[in-house]
Parts: sequence; C-alpha cells; structure tokens
Amino acid sequence: MTRKISSLLCSAALAVGLASPGLADSGETVATIKERGSLLCTGHNGSYLGFAEVDDKGKWTGFDIEFCKALATAILGSPDKLQIIPVSWAQRFPALQSGDIDVIIKVTGWTMSRDTELGLQFSRPYFIGPTNILVRKELEAETSADLEGGVFCINAGTSIERIVADYMGARGIEYEALNFEKGEELRSALYAGRCDALAGFGPFLAATRFNAPNPDDFVIMDEVLALEPESIAARQGDDNFIDVINWMVSALLMAEENGITQANVDEVRANPPSASVERLLGASPGMGERLGLSDDWAYNVIKAVGNYGEIYERTVGEQSAYKLPRGKNHLWLNGGLLYALVLD
Amino acid sequence: MLGILRTHKARAWLYQGLALAATLGLALSFVLIARQNLLDQGIATGFGFLERSTGWPINFALIEVSDRSPYWRMLTAGLLNTLLVGLLGLASATLVGVAIGLIRISSNLVLNVIGTTYVEIFRNVPLILQAFFWYAILTHLPSPRRAIPLMDIGFLSNRGLVLPALDISAADVFLFAAGTALILYGAARLGGAGTRASRWAWPLALAALAALFVLLLLTGRTPEAPLLTLPELRGLRFVGGFEIKPEFTALLIAITVFGGAYIGEIVRGGFLSVDKGRIEAARALGLKGFQINRFVRIPLALRAMLPALANQYVWLMKATTIGIAIGFPDYFMVVSTSINQSGQTMELMALLMGGFLLVNYGIGFVMNRVNARLAIKDRAG
Amino acid sequence: MAEASLAPPAVDRGPLAWARRRLFSSWLDGLVTLGFGAFVLWVFFEALDWAVLGAVWSLEDKELCAPGGGACWSVIEARGRLILFGLYPFEQHWRSTLACLVIVLTMGLSCVPRFWGVRRLPLLWLAGFGGFMLLMYGGVFGLSVVTTEQWGGLSLTVLIFASVVVIGMPLSVLLALARRSDMPVIRGVAGGIIDVVRSLPLLTILFAAAVVVPFVVPDWAQGDKLVRVILAFAVFFACYQAEIIRAGLQAIPPGQEEAAMALGMKYWRRVIDILLPQAFRSSLPATINQFVITFKETSIVTIIGFFEIMASGNAAVGTGDWAGQFIEVYVFVGAIYFCFVFGLSRYGAYLERRARLGQA
Repeated sequence: MTRKISSLLCSAALAVGLASPGLADSGETVATIKERGSLLCTGHNGSYLGFAEVDDKGKWTGFDIEFCKALATAILGSPDKLQIIPVSWAQRFPALQSGDIDVIIKVTGWTMSRDTELGLQFSRPYFIGPTNILVRKELEAETSADLEGGVFCINAGTSIERIVADYMGARGIEYEALNFEKGEELRSALYAGRCDALAGFGPFLAATRFNAPNPDDFVIMDEVLALEPESIAARQGDDNFIDVINWMVSALLMAEENGITQANVDEVRANPPSASVERLLGASPGMGERLGLSDDWAYNVIKAVGNYGEIYERTVGEQSAYKLPRGKNHLWLNGGLLYALVLD
Repeated sequence: MLGILRTHKARAWLYQGLALAATLGLALSFVLIARQNLLDQGIATGFGFLERSTGWPINFALIEVSDRSPYWRMLTAGLLNTLLVGLLGLASATLVGVAIGLIRISSNLVLNVIGTTYVEIFRNVPLILQAFFWYAILTHLPSPRRAIPLMDIGFLSNRGLVLPALDISAADVFLFAAGTALILYGAARLGGAGTRASRWAWPLALAALAALFVLLLLTGRTPEAPLLTLPELRGLRFVGGFEIKPEFTALLIAITVFGGAYIGEIVRGGFLSVDKGRIEAARALGLKGFQINRFVRIPLALRAMLPALANQYVWLMKATTIGIAIGFPDYFMVVSTSINQSGQTMELMALLMGGFLLVNYGIGFVMNRVNARLAIKDRAG
Repeated sequence: MAEASLAPPAVDRGPLAWARRRLFSSWLDGLVTLGFGAFVLWVFFEALDWAVLGAVWSLEDKELCAPGGGACWSVIEARGRLILFGLYPFEQHWRSTLACLVIVLTMGLSCVPRFWGVRRLPLLWLAGFGGFMLLMYGGVFGLSVVTTEQWGGLSLTVLIFASVVVIGMPLSVLLALARRSDMPVIRGVAGGIIDVVRSLPLLTILFAAAVVVPFVVPDWAQGDKLVRVILAFAVFFACYQAEIIRAGLQAIPPGQEEAAMALGMKYWRRVIDILLPQAFRSSLPATINQFVITFKETSIVTIIGFFEIMASGNAAVGTGDWAGQFIEVYVFVGAIYFCFVFGLSRYGAYLERRARLGQA
C-alpha cells in the first residue's frame, strides 16, 4: 500500500514537472551575450551534411555554423567569441527555452505551431529548402506520378515527411513511406534498393548521389515538392535580438547585391560607391546605434565570413563536395527568392 | 526529549517522517517552480495537440492510420507495434536462449565453442550494430521485379516476404489470438480439474476454436472480396497478399539473437544451480532420464531462472527502441517523430515514460504471478 | 603416499582420444562438428578478405577505395583523431589522452585487490577524478580552460562510465538496504524509485535530466549539464545494481544476521562486516554483467548532445568526403568498445575464480 502511494506520488511529481516547461530570461538576450562574452549557438549531435559538420581537427564548419559566426561577429566583433553547443533535433526547442543556447540556427522550418505554442520567435528566412526526389535511373521515372506504389525513404521527424504526404496525397499518388533516423541508414537503404526513391533536402540528396557505389545509377528529379523557409529561432519577447538577427541576414544579402566580398570589403569601405553601402559598412555613423551594436558590425561580419553567396558556395555550393546549385537561394536579381531589406 | 530519540522505535518513526517530508517537499517544490516558469514564459502546454492530425504516415501499423490520423491514434499504433515486436521477440528469444543454454552445457566441444562464441559475440556487440547487420542482409535480397518466387504463391524480395492472405483484418487476427488464448486457458483449467467433464475439455476447445474461426471469417471480411488474395507484381510493388516487412523481421531477429545470448546465460546458470545430489537422489529412486528432467531438473532450474528472466524481459522490451535506427515505427520512433514535428517535447517524453511504465509493469505483474505459482510452497512455514 | 595413486585410464589420453570424446562422440556429433566448423572458417576468411587482404590502408591511396571492395581504412587516418577526441581543441589533444589514461589507470588500480578498502578506494578515485578534471578542464598551471561541451571522444566515454559506476555503487547499496528495511515508509519509497526507474528507457531519464530539470529546479541548483546527466545515469545504474545486491543479500542465511545481533553488533557494523562482503561475492557475475551493459549504454548520451565516441564516430562520417565509409568507422568504434567490454568480462572471470578459491 505504502509502496503504491509513494510510486503514485513520484509519478505525479514527474507528470506535473514534465507538463510545464518555461524558463530562461527573455528580453535582454543581447545584453546577456555581451556580458558573457560569447554567443551560445546550436551544433549537431554528430553531423548534418553541409550545414553543421566537424572537420578533421574537431572544428565546426557548415552553412548554419557560418551564420552562428556571423551573429557572434555582429554582436561581439569576432567569429571566435562563439560556443557551439551540440544539440540533437529533439533537444533544440527545450534547450532554447531553458537558456542552454541563445539561438537556434539549425535548418529549422518556420511553422505555425512552433511560432505560436513553443514561445519562439522566428527571423526572416535565411535559407529556402527545396524538397527533391533522388531516384534510381533504371525505374525511368520522369515525374512523381511514375513512382506510383513505390517506396520513399525519408528522414524520420523532418518536415520532409509532411511535405511528401501532402504532395502525393494532393495528386492521389499512392506511396509507402519508410523512415530512418539517420542519414547513413537512409542512404544504404536506397543503395540496396529497399526504397525506390529518396525524398529530401538538396544537399543531402547531392551527397547521397555523390557517394553512391555508382553515382550514374541515380538521378535527382527536376520536380520540386515544396519549398520550406528555414529561419533562425529565438525566445519570444526579445524584439531587439530578432532585429539584430534579421539585419545580420540582410547585411549578408546586401553585401552580395553590391558585390562586396570578404576580399574587397576594405577597398569598398574606403571608397563606398553609394550612400547605403557607406552606411552598411559603418563608414558613416548610425548603423550600429539603432541596434545597440557598434557602427562597423556589418563590416566585421563580411570581413569574417564573406557575403551570402560566398558562404553558400563555400559550404554547400560549388566549392564544397555537394555542388548544390543555388536555385531559389539566389538573389532576386538572378531569379531567386532572396532580397535585402531597405537600409535607410 | 533526547531520551525518547534513543529508543529504536521513535528513531524509526523520525527517519520515516523525514523521508516522507523530503519526498513530498521535493515534489511540491518541483510543481511550484515549474508553474512559476510557465507563467514567466507563457508557453502553450498540455495535451491538446493529441487531437490534431499528424500530417505524416508510418508504413507499418496494426490499426489503420494515415497522414490524417490524429497524434493519439498514431501513438497508439506505435505502442501496438512495440508490443507486437516485443512480445514475439521475447517468445523467440526464450526459445533460442534455451537452445543456447543447453548447447553450452552439452559435452560436444564444437557445440560448446559455438555456444560460447555466440554468447560472447552477441552479448558484447551493441544491439544497434546487430540490427544494422541483419537489416543489411535482408535489404540485399533482389528487387521486387526480380523477386525469388516461393512455389509461385509467395515472393521474397528486398521489400520483404509476401504471402497469400486470408481476407481478414488485423483487428480480427487480434480477436482470434485473444479468443484462442482464452479457450486454451479454459481447456487447461477444465482438463486439469480432474472431474468427469475433464474428458471433454480438449474436444470442446477444438470445436470452440473452429467456431471462432468461421465466425471471424464470416463477419470480418469485406463482402465482395475473394476469400484468399494472392500477391502479384504491379508496377513497383506487390499488390494483395500478406506482407512481412524487412524492418520488422530485422528487428525481430536482432532482439531474438541478442536476447537469446543473455537468456542462454540465465538458462545455463539455472541448470548449473540444480544441486547434483538431487539428480543423484532421483536416479537412486529409479527415475529414468526424461523423468529426471521433467520432474526434477527442469522445475528446479526454472525456479532459479525466473527472477533473472523477468528482469531480462523488461530490459529486452526497452531494447525495442532501436527500431528507429532501422526504420521500424515502434513507440519510441513515433514519439520521437512527434517531438520533432510538433515540438511538444515535454508532453511527449511524459507519454513515452508512461507507455513504457505501463508495458513493463504489465510484464512484471505477469512474471510475479508465474513466479508465485511456481515457487516452492514452504510446508514448514 | 602420493606414489601409490593409480594412473588414469589410458584411453582418455592423447589428442585422438580427446578428439573422439569432445568432437566425434557420435555420428551426429561429428556432423555438427564438421558443419559448424566449415561455417566458422568461411566467416573468418570472408572477414579477413574484407578487413585485411582487400583493404586500402593509407590516406594517399584514397582514390583506390571503391564501394563494394575491401575496407577503406584511410578514413581512420583522416578522421581518427576526431573520433578519439571529439570536439576537444586540436592542439590540446595530449591533455585528453593523459586524462583518459589517468581514468583507465585508476580503473585498473581499483581492480587490484590490494586497493580494496573503505579508505583506500575513495582516496584513489578522488585522486583519479581530480587528475582528470585538472587535465581536461584546465584553468591552472597555464592550461587553457576547456568547457565541458567541448569534451568528447574516448575520454568522455570513459569518464561517464567511471563516474556512473563510482557514484552508483554506494547509492545502490543504500537503495538495496532501504528496500530491505523494516520501516515501511523507507521501504516503500526505495521500492517505488527502483521499480519506476527500472521500467523506463535510459534515454528518457537522461533526456529528463538534461532538458527537463532546468524547468523544475531553481537556477542555483542546476549545475553543469554533464553533471546532471552523470547523476541521472548513476541513479539508473544504482536501481539495477540495487536489485542485484538485494539478491545477494537474500542469499545470506538469516541466522548469520541474527547471530551478529545476538553478539550485540550495531546495524552498520553488521552491514559492513557481515552482509556486504558476502552479498558482493555472490552477486559478482551479475555485477560485472551490469558494468558491461553500462559501458555499452554510455553511447546513449549522444541524444542529448554529448560528443562521446559514438557521436564523434557519426561526425567523422558526416561529411561529403567520407560519407561512404561508415562501416569502417563503425567497425573501428565497435573494436574500441569490444576492448573495454572484453577486458571487463575477463576480469569478471578472474574475480569469480578468485572468489571460488577463497571459499574452498
């Protein structure tokens, strides 16, 4: 009897404890970061191809990591004032709520439930994730309709699962979803022919094809199932911090629009071609104060990581192993969806 | 005042009071702090999301689910999958374990070596690697278009094994299994009762089974569909028939082989613990070899094994969570996917804990009953 | 007197007779021997062909690595340090190596019966952990500070395993004693904790410790995430180990404790001098088994973002250049696990022999 009561009490305590999250100081994130002297940003528990990887020397690299560096530089002036905290997918939201990290930069889609129920606030999208299909050539499938009845390998717990279900459901195409937690298992399942197609994010598909026993056996179909806006997430209720993040992304895009690169940024700063570039690089005052940063923050960022295009090509594009075309992640000038905000 | 504390009883009450107060106090403070944090951040919590549709499907379920099913239904499907693979795994691991245990105490050296090697390898390599191994073997079978035909009615391919199927639903199979268990139990009770009716127990049971089968066949099937569907290749897959997926098979084999190694050791220990003197006594009484096994060795060994076995079962049940690595949608995988999709981490973790508490307390309850039944009745006491 | 003993029967000696007895005692036996023998040889040569004969060994030959061919060990040369050290700063790897050696050495020393004492063992571990922290964390003697989220690889795996066992062991004794206590409330609380914790997957407990605890305890009580996770893991270990010790305690005839009581021995004296030594001895095989399981389960901490050796192995193949070589990396990591686990089980066998000698 006593045993029953005590286990009941324990379970009750557990249940109540579990059912009620909500901690961490929202409001003064930038001040907290400055006081600490480092930004706490997300890494991965292992690796997410192209976005968060570890090099031979144990240093983090990748598209998301570059944005962590950019944010650290914007606030603290140096890309080294950054602590990458490895977190798993499941851990990322509670880790942000509890204050283990300051910000989530982890190819996280901007969804309604996350935005409204989890106490998160999203920045403007910094990456447009297209969902494609990688398929065995011998099936001679031209479109998704040719894959009627086929097995799709999909990364478990990702938005791809929903995207495929929506897309195929809307077109009345029957399919079977086979879900794996890890990229390696997905890949071997495709190579072994357990599934007919692999639906996923561009860089992942590119790496999968590149590493296949015979890459020519596989082809990435042109069809795009959906575009998912990936955003940077912070705790709700800190407008200043979200401003900083939005303008950091915007500065990287603006630099690309104006042809400012890591290599020529000093030159351009000495001779700014226009008033807005002059403002961007902090050659004339006013750029930092409004955000609570130093005037030359954008200059520092570009000096440290380059413009948006440079980051892209270096981590997932032409200069990387993935050779992912930019597609919708081009500037609007080149047919993409990205644009800078107006700097006045 | 201090004098009272010296008596044993008073001290005992003091300790207990302190322990109780500490437990309650801790629980209370958790609740209060959590509530404060909740107020501070204003995050929507609770189990309302369970009613929402998931938007993603799973490829193996005993009940009907799709991407439009609500979360609670998807979670139920996951829990049933865990139960299915877990219970089947426990049964087959026990069979393998008994075989391995007997091999290890046999006199043939090669059998000994094989038994020992088996145990050392499968106990010392992490279960997850073993699951990968079996899954890799199953997925390297030929593709559906080049499937290996089995007497032209079934096919073996890297999509699994398809067999002709009776046109009945999974729910009916469940009902049938439950009904069978009930009938057999009743028959065993009746048969063992030693009354006049006992003679009729087994014929009655057979008749009841047949009646149940026919009843389910009549009520459970779709009216126009044929009674037996044969699988045939259409496009990229087989249509019709009954399909056993490689993910399920690989997980089942992994649990069986891994559990077999541990249970083999328990079985070996159980048999070694039987006192030699009792065997010799039985022989002296003129019992034959199989009688010694049936009436002396096995009952005694079984009693020694049961507590460890119960432990092992709970542990193996928890080991099914590696299903996520090879694409089997068990409870853990469904919960983990739900966490990523909905972001309701805390609630889903609580549900995960609750599910496993339920299943494992269930196993513990059954094993305790069995243990109590088998325990040597202490006549002196 | 010794000369008078008879020689054993001659038929039982010599390799042939031995083979007949152990390998071919009947035709079925012989068939089994040949069949399984052939299978074992086949597996062995297939493995040899993949891992040694057809393998590519150095980084320069990376181009020779072909999918479906032999093993490509170049990946270990390129990514080996990442696997072994995780995110630890590259120039400081020597510290991680030394720290790992310190813990392994401490573990080795505490396996020697000479160090088994109520005073010696805690002192040894205090020194061991102290040395480890000094080397890994730094901050003194001009060593730069390396915070815990950068710890990783083998030294983190070893640290987690060692601290879980060292903290969990005393805890398990307390839990086992509490569960046998004659005070109903204490017994109930201990029993409740043990039963609930044992029914839960380790992963959920670690997740709760890492992620949920910050929400339910005040800021000052949170501590480092690594500490919380190790404590939670230790509780999980202790709940299993407590049942093992309880079984050992139950095997002791009640007469012994009654005799000790009659001699006027106090509770803790009885526990330390009479009950525990015997309980430990009889539960030794199960305890070693539990150690083995715990070592393998350390890999679960990757789910809450710790870079132990399984996670760093995953990171090693998680890059475009090496994504195809995951089997080699898994084999490498698996071999490291096997070394530790096999060592543990051999040590267990030694202890069992020793205990049996002590009894005889």
